[in-house]
Amino acid sequence: MRKYLTYLYLFAFITVAYILLPVMNADYLYTIQDNNVFINGRTFMMDTVQHAGGWGTWLACYLTQFFYYPWLGSTILILFWVAIYWITIWMFDISNKWSFLALIIPLLLLYHLLDYGYWIYYAKAPAFPFVPTIIVIFCLLVTWLFVWMTRRLKINWWLKKGLFLGFILLSLYIYNWLCPSTPWHFNYNFRHSILTTLTDKNFKHELKMYRALDEFRFEDALKEMPTNQEAAPTNLMVLYKNIALMHTGQMDKMFETGNCGVKPVLSDSLHLRTSQLGAPLIYYLFGQINYSYRWAMENSVQYGLGFRDLKMMTRTALFNQEFEVAAKYIAMLKNSTFHRKWALEHEAWMLNSTNFYQSLEYQTLAPLLNDGANALDGDDGLCEQFLLEYFSDLDHANSPLLEDVTLCMSLWAKDYYAYCIHFYDYVNKYPNRPISLLYQEGAILLGNAEESPITLENFRFDDIVANKYNSFVQDYTQLQQQGVDETEMGKRLKPLYGNTYWWYYYFYNDFNIY
Amino acid sequence: MKLRNILLIATIATLLAACGEHLTVPTNVQMESRLPKIYPDYTEVTIPANICPMNFIVQEGESEVIARLTYPGGEYLYGEGQKVLIDETQWQEMLDSAKGQTIKVEVFAKIGDTWKGYQPFNFYVAEDSIDEYISYRAIQPSYVAYERLSINQRNLTNFDVREIYNNMSVSNEKVGQCINCHSYKNYKTDNMLFHMRQGYGGTMLVTNGQLKKIDLKTDETLSAGVYPSWHPTHNLIAFSTNKTGQSFHTKDLNKIEVQDTESDLILYDVDKNEVSIISELDDELEVFPTWSPDGKKLYFCSAHFEYYNDSIEKSAEMIQRYDEVKYSLYSVDFNPDTKEFSNVEMVYDAASDSINQSVTLPRVSPDGRYLLFAQAAFGCFHVWHADADIYMMNLQTKEVQKLDAVNSDRSESYPSWSSNGRWIMVDSRRDDGNYTRPYIAYFDKNGKAHKPFMLPQQDPNFYTFYLRSFNRPEFMIEPVKITPREFAAKAKEDAVPAKYAAQ
Repeated sequence: MRKYLTYLYLFAFITVAYILLPVMNADYLYTIQDNNVFINGRTFMMDTVQHAGGWGTWLACYLTQFFYYPWLGSTILILFWVAIYWITIWMFDISNKWSFLALIIPLLLLYHLLDYGYWIYYAKAPAFPFVPTIIVIFCLLVTWLFVWMTRRLKINWWLKKGLFLGFILLSLYIYNWLCPSTPWHFNYNFRHSILTTLTDKNFKHELKMYRALDEFRFEDALKEMPTNQEAAPTNLMVLYKNIALMHTGQMDKMFETGNCGVKPVLSDSLHLRTSQLGAPLIYYLFGQINYSYRWAMENSVQYGLGFRDLKMMTRTALFNQEFEVAAKYIAMLKNSTFHRKWALEHEAWMLNSTNFYQSLEYQTLAPLLNDGANALDGDDGLCEQFLLEYFSDLDHANSPLLEDVTLCMSLWAKDYYAYCIHFYDYVNKYPNRPISLLYQEGAILLGNAEESPITLENFRFDDIVANKYNSFVQDYTQLQQQGVDETEMGKRLKPLYGNTYWWYYYFYNDFNIY
Repeated sequence: MKLRNILLIATIATLLAACGEHLTVPTNVQMESRLPKIYPDYTEVTIPANICPMNFIVQEGESEVIARLTYPGGEYLYGEGQKVLIDETQWQEMLDSAKGQTIKVEVFAKIGDTWKGYQPFNFYVAEDSIDEYISYRAIQPSYVAYERLSINQRNLTNFDVREIYNNMSVSNEKVGQCINCHSYKNYKTDNMLFHMRQGYGGTMLVTNGQLKKIDLKTDETLSAGVYPSWHPTHNLIAFSTNKTGQSFHTKDLNKIEVQDTESDLILYDVDKNEVSIISELDDELEVFPTWSPDGKKLYFCSAHFEYYNDSIEKSAEMIQRYDEVKYSLYSVDFNPDTKEFSNVEMVYDAASDSINQSVTLPRVSPDGRYLLFAQAAFGCFHVWHADADIYMMNLQTKEVQKLDAVNSDRSESYPSWSSNGRWIMVDSRRDDGNYTRPYIAYFDKNGKAHKPFMLPQQDPNFYTFYLRSFNRPEFMIEPVKITPREFAAKAKEDAVPAKYAAQ
């Protein structure tokens, strides 16, 4: 049995690695790939190799793209780790019994890859899944060559020392060649994020929802929103969910489907911002083309260019009819290994405007595009807050979808004044149309408030809404009179009114935008 | 002879034949009455006598091309697929032979089974050479973010590109900074500077070959030095100091406005490490200082802007009134010995009702006769203004003219002169509207600018796949000698604070 221990340890490691990588974290790996870029050709290569860690980075970028298929990328990475295991055993003459020690480096590399969590959006070092592995392999190969030579060649002590010195000099030369301009500084910090990667369900939901929205699979994005109340969703999930509702014509269901987001609690000092996590896509799906482009550009400058940035810049350039710059991005994507098909599809949009105007993306976003004149503004990096304020304040919604968005966003922002104005315009514009229950819930609460800028004397609420509101007021007053505090009151009223706007208005106060 | 040897010889012979395959001009050619579509557009351009090969790609469908380059000493043929890649040695031979004359270019493209010929065009080879180097900041056209950027130097006589400094060399997930405003004294690199902001902030200053890191912010000044200009004869640098902000258009394709809510001018005495005020007028936004070649005049831009809404912050009011900010061109006399400024003069009243424009980035020609600047409808950051164009003032007659030859319908900004005054370089977004590229134009003795050409690259497809702008392209007559590692090591040191000297 003992003679098979080497294989047994290896088999166990491979099994664990596969479970932790493509089985449990396929979306994580796909996202890492999406935030990375590799373009076949000389220009990308020359641009990469002239920077710190050039050739190693270039190779790592090449390999990272294979996480487009998480199983494929994982297999390549695991093969590298298996090689490290065998070389280590061979080099140090490790016996079967102690061969598990040779797994220390592969395990650390596995830990390193999983320790990113939300850092996958913030890592400045490109292609981080493969860079440390390539460094380790490079060092091992140099050492292996040295050991091999000293074992095979019968050389004396002095020659051995000279050879050792020669290897050090050779390594320094190769290192210099790898890093032609600047030192490859290697200041790895433990991020303490492995628990986020492995156990944070919201993090996993966010990854899946992003991809679904990116591919305009809005129903799939909605399925990722947990229906049970075991853990509050993150703000980002709420944003993604509401985008999916908006584009499936159900935005008025936003308070029935969990609208009380929280900021993820992290075990490290990472300062999370939705601008880095998904702003380009979020802005795009709200029809804010310039802002989408801006954040794709900003993130690529700050944290490195990724395929998702390139794609978003392509889409926004097409929507802005900036065809020359779109052609540039498409040319790059056409020279990628796995995003060529996407590029060809979007090239067809560019070459024939009919294709573009008939595309699902244009058809979906068109109603959001003509929201009036240009404005010079800024979001201070707070994408969610900008959208809430922008659409709440929008006074010239000129499509039914935009009208819904202005109503829902002003409710979401608890901007009673803006909501009342939008509601007043809405009921006057569509006097014979049944008003959705949400809009009635908003109006009955905000329109009848003392500060309301409108009067609702002639407006007749549905009985179901009016009766439920009366009972909410009654229950609320009763609990208030009993001296129950706000938090407890929220808990007690949630089963009955948790899916109403009133509950959100009174009891969701943790509006922690990030 | 064994069969194996025969096969080996046959293989080698085949390979040699393939390598030795030479191009010939097609005989049965269908002539077109137009110039070929080539990228970059190098048709009928005037080029320096020492420029690198003008490689280009022919954009006539999926074609195979042959280009015949005829020069006074003979001709050469080139063609690799759609690309025309010129051998460097042969190119040098052509330039040497055609100095003051032309190199004729005839392009033939095989489309389907038919060879088509196009009207020939010329490279006019000037007698004048160009400075051997340029440097530029390689940066994506970002808005607020920074990090992945470097200052590079490019040898114009070949295709060699080296990094002067790579910002990522001292960046990590916790520390980051921006680098900007590289500048040289008299086109030489023993006296040069660039700034770092945030993280390891400070001005990296090289004086007489020695590298220092200086903090130019004092309690009495608005900010550290921003836009610099080295005095040509003394160890002095004029800077603007700026409080800058950015705001973003929701629809406008200009996308961003970069605005100064306040700005002044300062003088930095390198030897004394002292900062003094040149101009800090209320209601004036002074910026972009630049010395005349004799060092006795400082040109600068200034916009008169009065804030009148006390209920909001200056930055908010500036955003509301962004298109009211218009800069005119001024000069102030300077005595280098006493370091005294006097006699401020309005040189070009661009903001006047009759012109109603905004001038930025003035640069005086080395002979002191002309002044180039960028002009657009408003504001100070014309790289983001599609209507920005390059204008020239004749400093003797004060006549201003738009340099039609070098402008396009997209942004042109950041003009600069070669050290001999025969070449001008501008940053242009004409290629795709978004990424700035350096365009070089011949400027003849009569003060006429010729059609510019985009900086040649070894692979003519380079610009398609290069996602960085060439920001602040500056001529240099020699390469930077301080290594990137030396800059990186100095960057991590604390900056030496400059002293303030009251005037």
